[in-house]
Amino acid sequence: MLQSTVNFIFANPLLLALIQILIIFGVISGIVAYLVYMERKVLAFMQARLGPMRVGPWGLLQPVADGLKLLIKEDIIPAGADKWLFLLAPAISIFAAFTVFAAIPFADYQVRGMNLFYVSDINIGLLFILAVSSLGIYGIILGGWASNSHFPLLGALRSSAQLVSYEVAAGMALVGVLLFSSSLSMVEIVKQQNTMGVWNVFFQPVAFLIYVIAAVAETNRNPFDLPEAESELTAGFHTEYSGFRFALYFMAEYTNMVVVSCIAVTLFLGGWLRPFASYKALDFLKYAPILATLGGGVFVLWLWLKSSVRLDRYFFAFLIACFVVLALLLAIPPVLNAIQGLFWFSVKVLAFLYAFIWYRATFPRYRYDQLMDVGWRFLIPLALTNLVVTAVVIWWKGPHLWPLLVINVICMAVMACLLSLRSSPSGVASER
Amino acid sequence: MDWKDFLWRIFLVDLIKGLRLTFSYQRPDAIYTEQYPLERPPVAERYRGAPRLNNHPESGETLCIACNLCSIACPENLIVVGWARTEDRKKRLTTFTYDLSRCMFCGLCEDACPVDALELTQDFEIANYSREGMIWDRQALEEGPQPSRYTR
Repeated sequence: MLQSTVNFIFANPLLLALIQILIIFGVISGIVAYLVYMERKVLAFMQARLGPMRVGPWGLLQPVADGLKLLIKEDIIPAGADKWLFLLAPAISIFAAFTVFAAIPFADYQVRGMNLFYVSDINIGLLFILAVSSLGIYGIILGGWASNSHFPLLGALRSSAQLVSYEVAAGMALVGVLLFSSSLSMVEIVKQQNTMGVWNVFFQPVAFLIYVIAAVAETNRNPFDLPEAESELTAGFHTEYSGFRFALYFMAEYTNMVVVSCIAVTLFLGGWLRPFASYKALDFLKYAPILATLGGGVFVLWLWLKSSVRLDRYFFAFLIACFVVLALLLAIPPVLNAIQGLFWFSVKVLAFLYAFIWYRATFPRYRYDQLMDVGWRFLIPLALTNLVVTAVVIWWKGPHLWPLLVINVICMAVMACLLSLRSSPSGVASER
Repeated sequence: MDWKDFLWRIFLVDLIKGLRLTFSYQRPDAIYTEQYPLERPPVAERYRGAPRLNNHPESGETLCIACNLCSIACPENLIVVGWARTEDRKKRLTTFTYDLSRCMFCGLCEDACPVDALELTQDFEIANYSREGMIWDRQALEEGPQPSRYTR
């Protein structure tokens, strides 16, 4: 019975794709929900607080409670709002955010010639991703405009200006990588990093830096969260939204974070490859998934020892059992091989998402003119230089390891020039 | 700007310093939050909270001799001591009301008490749903506040 079902699924690629889409949608929704939890927790720890603690042990059920609350809340449409656009806008945002995952390769593992861990490998993958994720800005602009209220409108204006500015820098930073891979397909880009032996970060650290900064700006997050600056615009473009539609916007925002991290990981950090995949000496790293699950188990054990509430202790014991079972499952060689790519990809994405939260806890918000200044007068010239220098070096010597030195030295020099040209408005540099 | 400054800015040293600081705060002992109903905060030694009328630890009789000195000492006049004479002309405490809603916890009443019967304890859970509930009678004063213990 099971065998015939599996056969049927593998005989119909569309059915397989549909199942993959459903799984990706479900998993990403869950990840996004718990990303909010993680953000609140990490932010709290960095501020010497505890974060959500009341719903479930260590507040673990908080996302569920939040989701339920948002679903049940009244859905208000302002009297003067453009009703259809108002209803459409959040849907556009979430649609754009989720569609991107169709072209992101989570891992490269084939069963009977079918790829299990990605839906499609389009030969214009990166272009598709950039195009679709840029559509998300329509959701923000339309939502801000349709609300017929000044705060959302101002937030939307800021958001669109910011996205347009930083998309240029991000795009040009990505082109530097494309020159190495000479392919737009996400799978090809990762495979090229495998044959090269080193991840693209080491060839293009400047481009990576530019992309990280631009990514933070594009997802409207601190220190570039001007579109929803609470102190100035109450909540920015979604001020008038409530209930389920607000939840959609919220989800779209966090999904965009995941998307941007996935792109960065695929292009710069070698996607599903483990660190230094071509060095056989590091083969012991393939046992990392087991160690990670056991580490998770030990962490929960520590929580169990610390907790004095009986119900929490039952829950933690259950979690420990889950971790142990998972570790035993991973100890089976075929399973370990299958999970390898997915594990490294998720670890990298998780590190990236953590960094996003880390920036939020650390850096204060930019002023609007500073934001534009950084975007247009620093990032874009730097990205252009990086692109030109990379292109020249590759045309001259081909993608070898030593030209990376040339690229980086020149880019650093340009960075220094740009920095010295920029006046330091606060005079921080002279005070030191 | 000298070259050291250059390098400082190129490698984003200031930003990295900031990131290191926030990262270091994630250690478990840095957490400042108390989970109040589960864990009670330690109160300072000289904290003056809910008043209490002390009983003799062995006989259980009140220590109060109904001398009325606390009532006289109180700047807010919120203590009312009621007494009756026994057959041998001794004063005996009957009622004792203490209006907590007007109390400023100055502690003059406990200073005035010659027998250490009235005492401001370190109990801080004295919130109440009504103004009438803030007026404590003798029984409430002897028992002290009885908050419901939080369990989960």
